[in-house]
Amino acid sequence: MASTPLYLMLSSDDRDTLQLASMIASVAAVSERPVHVFVSMGAIKVFEKGAFGNGRYGDSPLNTQLCAKKAPDPVEMFGQGKMLGDMSMWACSMVLDVLGWDESNLVEDLFDGQMGLTKFLSDAEQGQLISM
Amino acid sequence: MSERRIIDARGSYCPGPLMELIAALKLLQVGDEVEILSTDQGTARDVPEWTAKVGHETVESGDKDGHWYVVVRKMK
Repeated sequence: MASTPLYLMLSSDDRDTLQLASMIASVAAVSERPVHVFVSMGAIKVFEKGAFGNGRYGDSPLNTQLCAKKAPDPVEMFGQGKMLGDMSMWACSMVLDVLGWDESNLVEDLFDGQMGLTKFLSDAEQGQLISM
Repeated sequence: MSERRIIDARGSYCPGPLMELIAALKLLQVGDEVEILSTDQGTARDVPEWTAKVGHETVESGDKDGHWYVVVRKMK
């Protein structure tokens, strides 16, 4: 039986939240569960092309420890999920408009394109939606 | 003839060992095995759970010398 698709909506830039989000997305994707990630609001800045290392994340309770212990970087984890599993990533078109960005401002080879919230929510009716 | 490849993921945090295992399996033939070594406490439970879900086989698992190991056979 096919697994229920997982729809993950990201709005936070904090490391803790994105660490867990990237773990959920990548593990689900490699477990033969289709994953669709919608990146909006402050979360989009983490995926800015040229942003580097822990400085791209907002502060959060475990940020220091996650960095010091060299926990896998969330942006790289999303990339692994895409490479090894069934995963798509979409940038919120509204937030790109607000920032004056287009897809060229985002980390290369990670996003499948931009999408509106209405379309994402409509698609998500077919699966499980998690917002973080 | 099948082969067994050892992946040393000690020091890597969850889900790093699983990802390294999957990347290795993609490069092997059906019947080949991967032994993953990990210091991540969840690996010994997570990897067998993953293999059962996606249709590979856990050959053996346990702990030795302060780390966990899981041997997975590629089944498809």
